[in-house]
Amino acid sequence: VKPATLRAVGVGAVVSTAATVWLGLWVTPPDRTQGDLVRLLYVHPAIAFVALYLAGGTAAVASLLYLWGRTRSLFWDRLAAASAEIAALFSALTLVTGSLWGRPTWGVWWTWDARLTSTALLLVLLLGYLALRRVPAAPEVRAKRCAAAALIAAVDVPIVHFSVYWWQTLHQGGTVLNPELNVHIHGSMAWTFLLGFVAMCLVFVWMVAMRYRIGVLADRLGGEELEVSLAERRAEGALPSVGAEGALPSVGAEGALPSVGAEGALPSVNAEGALAEVGADRAGPVGPRTPPEPVTPGPTPARSPS
Amino acid sequence: VRYVDAGYVVALSVLAAYAAGLVLRRRRLEQAAAAVNGDAAGAPIPQVPRAGSPTSVPGWSPGPEPR
Repeated sequence: VKPATLRAVGVGAVVSTAATVWLGLWVTPPDRTQGDLVRLLYVHPAIAFVALYLAGGTAAVASLLYLWGRTRSLFWDRLAAASAEIAALFSALTLVTGSLWGRPTWGVWWTWDARLTSTALLLVLLLGYLALRRVPAAPEVRAKRCAAAALIAAVDVPIVHFSVYWWQTLHQGGTVLNPELNVHIHGSMAWTFLLGFVAMCLVFVWMVAMRYRIGVLADRLGGEELEVSLAERRAEGALPSVGAEGALPSVGAEGALPSVGAEGALPSVNAEGALAEVGADRAGPVGPRTPPEPVTPGPTPARSPS
Repeated sequence: VRYVDAGYVVALSVLAAYAAGLVLRRRRLEQAAAAVNGDAAGAPIPQVPRAGSPTSVPGWSPGPEPR
């Protein structure tokens, strides 16, 4: 994603979210039965939509495309990882905002309702996926393993969706995505509801693009923590940067390593940077040099005459 | 109303915190990548001539055979 596009999506996400909050809290009227509690309708279903269908669906499809031989690419693995992390975040937010809505309407923070339980199960599965990603393994092995885990988690998505129709639940059915596709919301409430979905979708797109980019950078650096800490140490001046003066890093500087080519096939590379083709260009003209002293690897055990 | 306010505050603050974390993480990684790339550009590539090949540095000759 081009930086300008990403910036535009980010600005759109902020503006649409701010507009949703403004309309949801101050413009739309209270509901006849729920009163002001209906204002959570502009946040909670949109977050759940992203968690289940957008982020969860993207993770599942990307994992499927990774497992399919023809489309196997680390692009799909990184996309699945980014989507799964965001799906976990949105699933947790779904549970929290739903709980805040359930307390005044149902009288409880939590109940073992089919919709709630299946959503909590989805969160646990997604956390398991994220934990699996942290298990050290070769990139291909990890990608295959995680793709399988993402597909297992994806099985729960239709269960969450249909739970309110398959079982008797406290949770209401879909306001828009119901089997009859009968929209139970109108007027300014409907527009604000729709805007909330647009806002959360834009937030998801921005986050997944950012998270994907982070995944690419981390893979390129070959270990995020190590590289960041190294860069920080170098910035602090604690570690000299490699080759800061055009010199070779000390290979065998203290005789720790034997000379390269112990049988004389290759000359030794030692602390003086005797071989400095690039270094010579950097350091300017180099005069004749004396052959470097080989680093003696230490006493060689005498061979038996056999 | 306090439940509604709490819902909005929790949702928006968590999303904002995660977004800020993404921005910071990306910036740190880009700085690390730039530092690593800068070092790679500044560091000479060790080049060892093969046996029998002419040396690239004038006046260079292989040292004595290790004992």
